[in-house]
Amino acid sequence: MASRYDRAITVFSPDGHLFQVEYAQEAVKKGSTAVGIRGANIVVLGVEKKSVAKLQDERTVRKICALDDHVCMAFAALTIFIGLAADARVVINRARVECQSHKLTVEDPVTVEYITRFIATLKQKYTQSNGRRPFGISALIVGFDDDGIPRLYQTDPSGTYHAWKANAIGRSAKTVREFLEKNYTEDAIASDNEAIKLAIKALLEVVQSGGKNIELAVIRRHQALEMFSAKEVELHITEIEKEKEKAEKKKSKKSV
Amino acid sequence: MAATFFGEVVKAPCRAGSEDEEEEDEGRRETSEDREVRQQLARKREVRLLRRQTKTSLEVSLLEKYPCSKFIIAIGNNAVAFLSSFVMNSGVWEEVGCAKLWNEWCRTTDTIHLSSTEAFCVFYHLKSNPSVFLCQCSCYVAEDQQYQWLEKVFGSCPRKNMQITILTCRHVTDYKTSESTGSLPSPFLKALKTQNFKDPVCCPLLEQPNIVHDLPAAVLSYCQVWKIPAILYLCYTDVMKLDLITVEAFKPILSTRSLKGLVKNIPQSTEILKKLMTTNEIQSNIYT
Repeated sequence: MASRYDRAITVFSPDGHLFQVEYAQEAVKKGSTAVGIRGANIVVLGVEKKSVAKLQDERTVRKICALDDHVCMAFAALTIFIGLAADARVVINRARVECQSHKLTVEDPVTVEYITRFIATLKQKYTQSNGRRPFGISALIVGFDDDGIPRLYQTDPSGTYHAWKANAIGRSAKTVREFLEKNYTEDAIASDNEAIKLAIKALLEVVQSGGKNIELAVIRRHQALEMFSAKEVELHITEIEKEKEKAEKKKSKKSV
Repeated sequence: MAATFFGEVVKAPCRAGSEDEEEEDEGRRETSEDREVRQQLARKREVRLLRRQTKTSLEVSLLEKYPCSKFIIAIGNNAVAFLSSFVMNSGVWEEVGCAKLWNEWCRTTDTIHLSSTEAFCVFYHLKSNPSVFLCQCSCYVAEDQQYQWLEKVFGSCPRKNMQITILTCRHVTDYKTSESTGSLPSPFLKALKTQNFKDPVCCPLLEQPNIVHDLPAAVLSYCQVWKIPAILYLCYTDVMKLDLITVEAFKPILSTRSLKGLVKNIPQSTEILKKLMTTNEIQSNIYT
């Protein structure tokens, strides 16, 4: 059914599908898993970090990128793009230029929603132009606005964007999202530490090998961006495992 | 022209050949060179069933040589990983033979000197119950080779008192449905069985217009024709490479009669499965 209407981006199928856009969404599923959580006073971005080839310089493989920062305060917007790496680089550059351009023109830094809308509009343009293909990337954009409210947005290759309390993109995102739906409670995000642990727990649903394969970044209100080292992630994982053991012991006691 | 399930009219490709074929044949003459090339190609694409230890070909088909009551076939890397961790780990399995073949999908070009680790379809039987067979098939068996594979494994007149279980995976975008693929709960399991299979099924049956492809389809068709009870468990997933969540989607099968008595230690199996997963998988530079 799809084969006659999927060769050109600008052609709808009889039942209203834009197959190239849907195929671009499949490209996103080939990337690593990323998770974003909006806490009460913190935003967390976590991503699965697969090992690089032996001779490749690991420093050049950074997934979590800053889009903008305030003159004297925290990073206003942090993002992660999942999907085609080259597309991600191009879009991040355009977004960064837009952040600076906005600051020069309006003398205010962008809000998280503004830059998300800019990225989404850019992506949408490429679903409506002839001779171009859509960007094969989804993004999670987090940050704090001037009003101090934490924000998390997600965009996809079709150019839609929505605000989320917690979301996941990339490989097995559905599994992670289901985990988040079950475990995202007011208690779970009450403290910063709990929000961070929730992000790590969500990633551990699909990432097998532990701390060295998870990249984590947080922004707390009125504080600078913090990128976690592998050791710090491992510390949190050990805490999570201890809690699991305690919970299992309690269960077995109850059943006895 | 034909109407598809969802109402769109498409020209269906005809596997019987086009109507113009007869006229074309009269014009073409086959030279001896053509014949030789054809024979060489047929030899190269031959499916060989070998005894592993002696590396000699089996004279008769596998299931004619050994009596079989239960045959579990895993096709594809996720299905193979599932059987390796949950079934092969719970008993002592002895290798009885392997099928070696070459087609355009194979990465190696030399079929004669394949190393012992490169056998593509390996057959095992349970030491404590030698009529229980298992096949781990991680290669692609092309259409022209499927009949040969069936002949070499099942033979031309198979026994009817055996039960076949096939496990395989397919990408979720192949699943035809009026919903969008984004809303499907992948990975999910669907089953397709032959008329003679009477046991309860642990998951929904595969709905129309979906069809089964490749070797699983060949085996099921063969079983349907020969009235052998057979069931195919098809896992639709969006991660075709080796993936923990996809392999775990096969778990409901552990409770069925097909695998009853063959699985003992599930937590340990899960641990083995995690180790199997390539934790050192290199990051692709195209996808971030």
